[in-house]
Amino acid sequence: MDLLDFARGPALQWSLVIMVFGLAWRLTGILLLKKKPDFSEPRYKDTFHGRMLMIMRRMWPKEEFVRNSLLDLVLGYVFHIGLFVVVFFFLPHILFIKDLTGLSWPNLPNGVIFFVGAITVAALFALLMQRIMTPVKRLLSNFDDYFSWFVTTAPLITGLLAAAHVGARYETLLAIHLLTVALLFVWLPFGKLFHTVMVFVSRGATGGAFERKGAAI
Amino acid sequence: MTGSLRTVGDALARRGVSRRAFMKFCGALASSMALPPGVVPAMAEALAKAQRPSVIWLSFQECTGCTESITRADSPTLEDLIFNLVSLDYHHTLQAVSGFAAEEAREHAMKAHHGKYLLLVDGSLPPKETEYYSTIAGISNYQMLEEAAKGAAAIIAVGSCAAFGGLPVASPNPTRAVSVRDVIKDKPVINVPGCPPIPVVMTGVLAHYLTFGKLPDLDHLGRPKVFYGETIHDRCYRRPFYEQGKFAKTFDDEGARQGWCLYELGCKGPITYNACATVKWNFHTSFPIESGHGCLGCSEPGFWDRGSFYKPLSTGELSKATTIAGAAAVGVAVGAAAAMMSRSRQEKVTGGK
Amino acid sequence: MSAADVNVAHPLETEGRIHRLKKPAVRADVQGNMPDKERVDIAMKHFVKDFGRLSAIYMESCIHCGMCAQACHFYAATEDPRLTPIWKLEPFKQAYKREAGPFALFYKIFGLKRAVTADELKEWQELLYDTCTMCGRCTMACPMSIDIAALVAQARHAMFHAGLVPHELHAVAERAEKEGSPLGATPKVFKDRVEWLADDNDIEIPMDKPKAKVICSLSSIEIMKYPESIVATAKIMKHLGLDWTLRSDGYEATNFGLLSGNAAWQKDMSMKLINAAIACGAELLILPECGHAYGALRWQGANIYGKELPFKVRHISEFLGENIKNGKLKLKPMNKSVTFHDPCQVTRRGGVVQEPRDALKGLGVDLIEMSSEPGMNWCCGGGGGVVTIHRADATRYKSFQIKMKQVEDTGAEMLVSSCSNCRLTFDDSQAHFHWDKKLHSLLELVAENLIEE
Repeated sequence: MDLLDFARGPALQWSLVIMVFGLAWRLTGILLLKKKPDFSEPRYKDTFHGRMLMIMRRMWPKEEFVRNSLLDLVLGYVFHIGLFVVVFFFLPHILFIKDLTGLSWPNLPNGVIFFVGAITVAALFALLMQRIMTPVKRLLSNFDDYFSWFVTTAPLITGLLAAAHVGARYETLLAIHLLTVALLFVWLPFGKLFHTVMVFVSRGATGGAFERKGAAI
Repeated sequence: MTGSLRTVGDALARRGVSRRAFMKFCGALASSMALPPGVVPAMAEALAKAQRPSVIWLSFQECTGCTESITRADSPTLEDLIFNLVSLDYHHTLQAVSGFAAEEAREHAMKAHHGKYLLLVDGSLPPKETEYYSTIAGISNYQMLEEAAKGAAAIIAVGSCAAFGGLPVASPNPTRAVSVRDVIKDKPVINVPGCPPIPVVMTGVLAHYLTFGKLPDLDHLGRPKVFYGETIHDRCYRRPFYEQGKFAKTFDDEGARQGWCLYELGCKGPITYNACATVKWNFHTSFPIESGHGCLGCSEPGFWDRGSFYKPLSTGELSKATTIAGAAAVGVAVGAAAAMMSRSRQEKVTGGK
Repeated sequence: MSAADVNVAHPLETEGRIHRLKKPAVRADVQGNMPDKERVDIAMKHFVKDFGRLSAIYMESCIHCGMCAQACHFYAATEDPRLTPIWKLEPFKQAYKREAGPFALFYKIFGLKRAVTADELKEWQELLYDTCTMCGRCTMACPMSIDIAALVAQARHAMFHAGLVPHELHAVAERAEKEGSPLGATPKVFKDRVEWLADDNDIEIPMDKPKAKVICSLSSIEIMKYPESIVATAKIMKHLGLDWTLRSDGYEATNFGLLSGNAAWQKDMSMKLINAAIACGAELLILPECGHAYGALRWQGANIYGKELPFKVRHISEFLGENIKNGKLKLKPMNKSVTFHDPCQVTRRGGVVQEPRDALKGLGVDLIEMSSEPGMNWCCGGGGGVVTIHRADATRYKSFQIKMKQVEDTGAEMLVSSCSNCRLTFDDSQAHFHWDKKLHSLLELVAENLIEE
């Protein structure tokens, strides 16, 4: 079995299994912890509305915070949207998902994907610079932050390299790309990339609790 | 065709091939191997003067497809002469004699031209441990190859079976079959894979050896770079559609009719190194993709075990839904256990309050 | 107004850039003689008590984006990265991951998360007390909606029992638990004061009625420093013709148990109010102009009681707003431009948004909002116990400059709010900076401008 067969086969296979296992473990371990009941008289009873509102609203900061967050916002969204476009609109990726789930949708031309991918990588590097250079972020950052950055950037860079046939034979580049994706899957439940799940859980929890009080959402 | 050797030039003249036609052939051969035109006169002279070397073709666990393919080599008149440029002293399908006489011819050629004959092998073979799964005239393939390799000037593994093991090596590989390179380790072996290889690729490699007396540049898998240096994908005429994101979804939809890229229908072009997209098949008529079917990847090791020919390259060999569901269930169980541990600790500390 | 103008009486080590856990002379106040190990063990025990589902969700969600920093007035005033709100919870988070999270066993076995140390807890005293009012503005900035303010309150539990509360706050809280008031307004002092106020202002202020429909509570800050608010309350109750009372067995609305981090004291203090309300059969308990008092009883009271409270709980500004809107309180127009400082615990975290605005509308003022939406204004910087901690004064004054600018930027003639701790903070800072804006009490304004029939 050569590197590509390993990457396409056992590596991706097991990484998906580990990812599902890890997601289930972590989420269950959090949600089954003790929840205290609330006997206070609610201001509003419908907390579902609050949950949804918080999830939507936190996608953009409050007016007071926009100016100081502009770089984070722009780079953050360029990266997230770029990654979304590259992952979900490049045909080989769509076919991967189709194989897993049966779902598929129209794709974008490769040139667009490559361009968006390059911009996404640029945004990621800019974000890394910012993390290292701003005192607040530097203080907060730990291994998880840097490793998660690496694990996210590597598939993008290796994907671009494979598409451009730069650095090694194509099938080797492709194998490395698949291995970086497997690494991403494996790491996702265990580090801060888990925020893919928690963003909804955490915003929803606060949104529901705050709506109950009528507090600012 | 056994016995005395004449020069190639003599053989050509005897067959009535004009000097002009011969030069044309050399020119075509040189260009197909990306050799500069300046080489042609030297090539012609060398070929003309070349002694007709003895060629022994051993066929092991093969389907005879490689032989079928080589006989479709280009212009019948000239490629026929390739056969006359060599003395094909042993070939199961093409030789006139059979039985003991055939084996005698092989042994005679090996002795008479020891150290000078070309050894061509097609088909994979069982290794020493299981050597009697495949025998010819009571001699195991393994033994026959070992013996023949000793006196060979050069060894060419023709077809994917000889080069990489091919079909017999595919799971479950009941004969434990191996490739030529797995057996012969002390001599260079040129791999000319394909299932089958393109006719002119086989003859081109031969002609290169005959002309220059040495092996062409080989890649990391022992394949001549001149024919196996690029992927199908990089030379495919449908590549613009791949780049534009236009893919045929079924074999008869509008995209297929428009000749769009066949990636979604399982084409393995991106990881397959061969000359199909440029040299093509059936006298340079077409190749699988041009005819509307994805590349099988037949010149790559292990292509039979790489999953369905119709599953796209990016799908991989993934777990069944039940495995994933099982993983989720185990995850929930472990998570629940962790939460219970935490809660009981909390109970202990708060005293239940 | 620049840093050079500030007359700093107590300079702190918060000047300059301090990164990571570098060790300056950490002047952590300690209570008791426990050895360090014991302090850590006790702290861990109390951390574990608080690791429920909601805290866990938050601890698992931080993505280290640092956006909470800009929302915090203490960070904004000093640019000290250690004052990044979520960084205040670092020991809490480490402990959670090691002790209660889904991967706790692994983290512990492989040493992937370090254990909290006594030195760390001491260093964090300043971050959890001196430079946090639990105003919750950081919660509003966090893209993951982590309720950092609530987590700080939880983390204080561990700090209290580990004997790591700033001295003044501990002293004030202890006084409140033992004497019934943080400022010496004991039941006797309280009764005396009320009697004197009733006399002096010629108004009935019922005390210790055996049965009443409405029970009012007060802040010791009002009792001792702004007694006019008691008179104002009486006036309004009289105007509305309500059957109301004050109770000397339950009057103190501030909750220094909550602020210092002693959950048992917090319960004692809340139960006094609850028991008094039940004893007189009240249908409504009114909380005074105070911030944390609102959160303590309106939102946490029932849970401390263990079931639904048998009476409604309202902030005085809610009560005023409701009764102005329904026309029961008619007011003389004030014809001034006003900006309203929403007390963080009442509006942003408490949900009282519209009622103070209804009250101001009733007062006929031209309301100029100081923030993009109600509750997004800067904190006064004195809540959560901070105003009691003198070594925090310099930082508090620095951050107050941000508040002053916010008020000035509205161009309003008058500044109004509905929290006596904010009032105390504003008054103190006003004196410090020689500022021309005085904070007015909404309650007193309403009482002053009542149209008596």
